[in-house]
Amino acid sequence: MNIFEKHGPFLAVAAAVIASCAYVYPAAAADELRVATAYKLMTLDPQYANLNENNSLLSQIYERLIYQDENLQLQPSLALLWRSVSDTTWEFKLRPNVKFHDGSAFTAEDVIYSVDRIKNVLQPPGGGFRSYLGGVKSVTASDPLTVVVETDRPLPNLPQAFASIFIMHRPASGSQTTEGLNAGDQPVGTGPYKFVKWTPGETLDLSRNEQYWGRTPRWPEVEFRTIENPAARVAALVTGEADLADAIPARDVSSLKQRGIKVASIGAARINFLQFDLTSDIVPGVTDKEGASIANPFRNPDVRRALSLATDRGILVDKILSGYGTAAAQFYPDGLPGTSSRLHASPPDYARAKALLAKAGYPDGFKLVLAGSNGRYPGDGESLQAIAQNWARIGIEAKPEAAPYSVFNTNRAAGQYGLWYAGCSGESVDIILDAVVASAQPERGRGSLNYSNYSNAEFDAMLIKAEALKYGQERDNALAEATDLVMTDQPIIPLYHFHHIMGYGDRVASYVMHPRGWTTAMQATPAKE
Amino acid sequence: MPVLKLTLGRLVQAVILLFVMSVIGFAGIHAIGNPVFNVVNLETASADDIRRATIALGLDQPIWRQYLLFLGNVLRGDFGTSYNYHQSAFALLVGKLPATLELSLSAMVVAAPLGVAIGLAAGRQPGSMLDRSLLSTGIFALSIPSFWMSMMLILVGAVETGWFPSGGRGATIVIAGLEWSFATVDGLWHLLLPTLALAIPNIALIARLTRAGTIETERMEFLRFCRAKGISSRHILLRHTLPNISAPVITIIGLQFGGMLAFAVVVESIFSWPGIGKLLIDSIQLLDRPVVMACLTFISIAFVALNAVVDIVQATLDPRIRLSA
Repeated sequence: MNIFEKHGPFLAVAAAVIASCAYVYPAAAADELRVATAYKLMTLDPQYANLNENNSLLSQIYERLIYQDENLQLQPSLALLWRSVSDTTWEFKLRPNVKFHDGSAFTAEDVIYSVDRIKNVLQPPGGGFRSYLGGVKSVTASDPLTVVVETDRPLPNLPQAFASIFIMHRPASGSQTTEGLNAGDQPVGTGPYKFVKWTPGETLDLSRNEQYWGRTPRWPEVEFRTIENPAARVAALVTGEADLADAIPARDVSSLKQRGIKVASIGAARINFLQFDLTSDIVPGVTDKEGASIANPFRNPDVRRALSLATDRGILVDKILSGYGTAAAQFYPDGLPGTSSRLHASPPDYARAKALLAKAGYPDGFKLVLAGSNGRYPGDGESLQAIAQNWARIGIEAKPEAAPYSVFNTNRAAGQYGLWYAGCSGESVDIILDAVVASAQPERGRGSLNYSNYSNAEFDAMLIKAEALKYGQERDNALAEATDLVMTDQPIIPLYHFHHIMGYGDRVASYVMHPRGWTTAMQATPAKE
Repeated sequence: MPVLKLTLGRLVQAVILLFVMSVIGFAGIHAIGNPVFNVVNLETASADDIRRATIALGLDQPIWRQYLLFLGNVLRGDFGTSYNYHQSAFALLVGKLPATLELSLSAMVVAAPLGVAIGLAAGRQPGSMLDRSLLSTGIFALSIPSFWMSMMLILVGAVETGWFPSGGRGATIVIAGLEWSFATVDGLWHLLLPTLALAIPNIALIARLTRAGTIETERMEFLRFCRAKGISSRHILLRHTLPNISAPVITIIGLQFGGMLAFAVVVESIFSWPGIGKLLIDSIQLLDRPVVMACLTFISIAFVALNAVVDIVQATLDPRIRLSA
């Protein structure tokens, strides 16, 4: 009381000063979209590395021939039409009257240049898209707006590859270097937003491309700010410093909603799963209850099925991911093209799991080490703990071992794990099937994540047959049947498809989620339109 | 001549330190894991992509050869190219320097005078109400973890009241080719909360040290003589007590400042302040060895230089101290 009497006038002035400052801040330009993103852009070279953060942010500056929409269907972008002329020839009709940001016209030459740059110019560790062009023999132009791609074997999924590769502008001579692009040689694309400024690890500024061929972009200016700490990202959203924030932690969603922040989410086009060592005779960390080493139990499909049956995916999804995840029984979220309608995640059945273990010759269970990364994927480290507790009920003594992603990978590559948590994403389900469960065949890009060395000739044949089919219902059905077949063998234990969560404030009316987890200005609609 | 000898001695020490640091840093990163897994996207890369990237980064060579190559390049002034950003590691470091300098300098400018003033006030009347309340506040400020303090500052200063921004550097202007934010109003506004978060524990630390020194010095004979001579207590405090307690206080200010330059990781991350501490920890996580080595070298040099400055300041303040190599 005394203090207020004595210092009343001073306190009032102080309060007024502070309050007036509140009006000074935030000082955003009226029409600027400010995005707080977890994605840290690594380079301005759209062909340097195939990382989600690069692909997401750079897709505003550069475009692809084909755009993969929210339902993972292929839509015309820089190419209007595409068709296979023969088994080994594809023809792309390009969109006319498209201009690059520097005003020059987009032609077939730019497509030829972009493919050549990936295949022949970029040196490792660059050229992350080279694997997409395996089997491409030549790219030529039959006229300025027609590109003909010859392949050395039938590639029915070639359009998918061109839904990933960004088209760059052919310079007058030579080709752009990654260093040059990073140093601020204005990155020139055809996209809805033009490059303004990039500070590595901090901000990316864009401005509207007034000459854009499609609908005029809605935001005149866009600023992406990299905020990797999730709590800081949420705080920026709450204080109104950001209009849009990605990768919102599921546990913060309810408090954000209370503060009037809108939230959108979608199941990610990806899978997190457990993978086994299926080749070694003795598996690291696997012993009987007394600690004596035993022969690799994971080779027995019954053991794999028992472990899957004893995994409570409900806990993972409801508790660890706070509902922002979908229990998985296959490689892609249900309902997306190529998924099986016959596979469904079911609640754990400990009795059946125990019976299966007994049948496999482990009535008392055994000990194992369950390895995984920590902090790489939503819920990764905590899932290991939860699964270990589940498995204790059927006599499996699992020791969770979570490590930083790079440490985990080094150990996994060195063969130090027998059973581990993994993740895979892909533009379509066949890419995931190819990577995770197809027999290793590196020259065809198969089995790149099949660290189990799982091999199932019947499934391989079905998958190859399905992939030879054109895009459409028939191909999707064939992929679903191949998935059904391979899952009877339980080569992996599917866990969940986590959800991408976006939060947005008053200045954004709606945000169209994309299952690939992209964060772009195109997906956000301004409130005052 | 003694100055020359001194400088030479210090330089030799610095070189030995840098060498040892580089070996430890290099071996440490190598022991953590293989950087190539962070360079390629493991979820889509083929085995061939990984193999090519490994060769391109020189990671297929034996570790000792990698180290010799690195050492040779550093001697020619080249820390190499960041694995992840494909940019010069040194340029990345220099780009983060302004953010780090302005944050740690402003935190120290707040912490040092405040800490000394509080310490003197408390130490003059040990056991008084003022002393006890300052002491317990200080213990509280020292013992709360900095991530919690940062969170609370954001919660109170940004989320609940909306007075301050929750993070970032705000507007910057280019001075001498680098981007600074302290020279704009918006930048200063952004600087305030992280400065507080860094300064508060340091105020407490410096205050405690000053208080202890003050109590000890106030009991000394010469101060009693001063009082007996009728010198005012303010004069005694500022002219006699303060210089006599300055040695440990200046040492701690120097060391803490060095720590802020390099290891303000928590505050930098939470306030998304793009400083060197954050660059270092990000690079360690990505195993981006060239950047890690550039950062460690910078930090070592900064510590050596700060130590030298502290020694010189002490020698000027206290004639009993002689500099030695």
